[in-house]
Amino acid sequence: MDLFLQTLVNGILIGGILICLTIGFQLTFGVLHVIDFAVGGWTMLGGYTAYWLVTLAGIDPFISIFLVFALFLLIGRGLGPLIYHVRTSRYARPDLMALAFTFGIFLFMRGGALWLWSYNSRSVDSVLSGQFLSLGPVTIPLMRLSAFILAMMFSLGLFILLYRSRFGMAVRALAQNHDHAGLMGVDVKRVSAWVYGIYTALTASAGVLIATIYSVNPSVGIRYTLFAFFVAVLAGLGSVGGVLVAGLALGLLEAYVATYIGARYSLLIVFGTLYLVLLVAPKGVLGRGI
Amino acid sequence: MASKPVLTPKLIVRTLLFGAIVIALAVLPALIDSYTLRIATGALMWAGLACAWNIVGGYAGYISFGHSAFFGIGAYTTAILMQSNIGASFFVTLLPAILLSIAVAVVIGGPTMRLRGAYFAIATWAFAEMLMQLVTVLDFTGGTAGLSLPAYLNEFFFYYIMLIASAASFIGVWLLIERSRFGFRIKALRDDEPAAESLGIRTNLVKVQSFALSAAITALFGSIYAYWTTYIDPHSVMGPEITDQMVVMVLLGGLGTVWGPALGAVLLWITNRYIWSTFGDTVIYLPVLGIIIALVVLFLPNGLISLIVGRQRGKELISRILGKL
Repeated sequence: MDLFLQTLVNGILIGGILICLTIGFQLTFGVLHVIDFAVGGWTMLGGYTAYWLVTLAGIDPFISIFLVFALFLLIGRGLGPLIYHVRTSRYARPDLMALAFTFGIFLFMRGGALWLWSYNSRSVDSVLSGQFLSLGPVTIPLMRLSAFILAMMFSLGLFILLYRSRFGMAVRALAQNHDHAGLMGVDVKRVSAWVYGIYTALTASAGVLIATIYSVNPSVGIRYTLFAFFVAVLAGLGSVGGVLVAGLALGLLEAYVATYIGARYSLLIVFGTLYLVLLVAPKGVLGRGI
Repeated sequence: MASKPVLTPKLIVRTLLFGAIVIALAVLPALIDSYTLRIATGALMWAGLACAWNIVGGYAGYISFGHSAFFGIGAYTTAILMQSNIGASFFVTLLPAILLSIAVAVVIGGPTMRLRGAYFAIATWAFAEMLMQLVTVLDFTGGTAGLSLPAYLNEFFFYYIMLIASAASFIGVWLLIERSRFGFRIKALRDDEPAAESLGIRTNLVKVQSFALSAAITALFGSIYAYWTTYIDPHSVMGPEITDQMVVMVLLGGLGTVWGPALGAVLLWITNRYIWSTFGDTVIYLPVLGIIIALVVLFLPNGLISLIVGRQRGKELISRILGKL
C-alpha cells in the first residue's frame, strides 16, 4: 500500500510537468493547426540552457527557468512567422508541409545537441537537490514538488492569459476562425507568432524542470515529443483543458508501469498505449476545442 | 491502359536511359576502389529505401514516420534465421523477412491508415518506437546487445545484390504506379479520398496494398543491410534516423515522382559520406538534414526534380539561371 501511494504521488508530480510540456503544444495546434514535431526538441534545449546557466554562471535552475522562459519566448516569436507562412501557403498539402518543416527543425535541434554535447546525459542540481519531505508513508523529493508547483503556476498563468486578457480573447478568436478574427481587427500573423513563442517558452520551461528531476541528453527529444503527442491525443488535439487530465493520466501510467512491471518496459507500454489510443479514438477521449 | 499506345517515343527514351544507367552501374565496380564501392553500395540501398517510402509518403500522401520498423523487421528476421542454431542461408531468409513485413503491414496498415495527415504520422512513429522498445526487451533478438551474423566479406556481392534490389524496386514502382490502374487509384486516393471512394475505388484496400508493397521493399533492404554490416542492434536498424533519412531524401528529391527519391538519396548519401570522411563523424549530418528539409519546404516544395523535369516553376528557375550566364 505504501508503494502504491508513493507511486501515486510520483505519477502526479510527473504528470504536472507533462501538463506544462503539452499545454502550449495544444494551444499551437488550436490556433495555427500545426502539430509541432519539434516539441521534444524545445524541451531538450530548455534543459540544456538550464545546464549551461548553472555550470557557466551558477544560476540555480529555479531562477534560470524564468530566463529560459524569456529567451525561448523570443526565439519562438522569431520562428513563428515562418511556421505561419508554411501553414498558410498554397502548397497542395500545407498541413503535411508544416509537419515536415517542424520535423526539419527537430532534426536540426537533435543533431545540433548531439554535436555540441555528445551522447552524455547532463543533470542539473539545485539548492533543493537531495532534500525530502516526509508525509506519513510517502517521501517527496522537494525538487519534484517545487517542479510540480512551478509547472502548475505556468499552466495557470496561461489559463489566466487566455481567458482574462485582450490577447487571450484574440487567441481564442483565432482558434475559431482566422478570417473572421482578421476581419474583427486581430493581427492574425502577429498573434499567431506570439502563440508560437508562448508555446516554445512553456515547453522549454518544462524542459528545465525535467532536467532538474532526471537528466537531459540528445535523445530525450524523441521521448518527450512522443509524450506530448500522447497527452495531446488523449486530451483531443487542440483541447487545452483536457491536457490537465491527460497529463496526469500519462504521469500515473508511467509511474505505475515503472514500479510494478519494470522501468525497461515503461516506454514500450507508453508508446503501445499511444498507438492504441490513436486507433480507437483519434479525435481524443476528453474533449475538444480551446 | 488500352487507350494509351504501348510504345511512345518518350517511353523508348526512358527505357533506354534507365537501361544505360543500370549498365553503367553494373560495370562501375571494375573502375573504383573498395572504399568507393562501399559508398556506392550504400547509395543504392538508400535509393531503394527512398523509392519504397515514396510509395506511401509520395504517391498515397500518407507521411509515415514508422518505416524503420520494417527495415528492422527485415534485418532481424535475417539475423535471427542466420544464427548458428538455425543456420539458414542468406537467400532463404529473404522470403520470410518479406512475408513477415507484409503481414505486419497488413495488420497495422488497415487500422492505422484510417487516420489522416499528422495523426497517421504520429501513429506510425509510435508504432516504430514501440517495436524498437520491444526488440530491446526481448531475449531472442539479443536485447540491447544486438546480434552478429556470419560474415561474408565480398563487397562485389553486396553491390550487385543492392543494384538488383534497387533496380527491381524502381522498375516495379514505375510499372505499378505510372503504368497501371493501381497507380491511378493511389493518386486518386492522395488527391481526393472521398471523391476516389465515390468513384468506386476501394480506398482501404489500395492503402493497405501500397503500405504492404512499401513495407516489403523496405524489409528486403533491411535483410541485405544486416548481412552486409554483419552486426545489428535495435538502434542501428530500428532507430529513428533510418526513417528520418528516408523522409528527407524523398522530400529533397521530389515527393511522388519516379526519379526524385533516387536523386535525393544519392545526393544526401554522398553528403553523409563526405561529412563523415571530413569531420570523422556523422553527427553533424543530422543538423544538415534538418536545415535541408526546412529549406526545401520553404523554397522548393516540389523537390530538386522540379528543377530538372518540366514543371513550370522549374522551367522558370532554369531559364532565369541560364539568362544570367
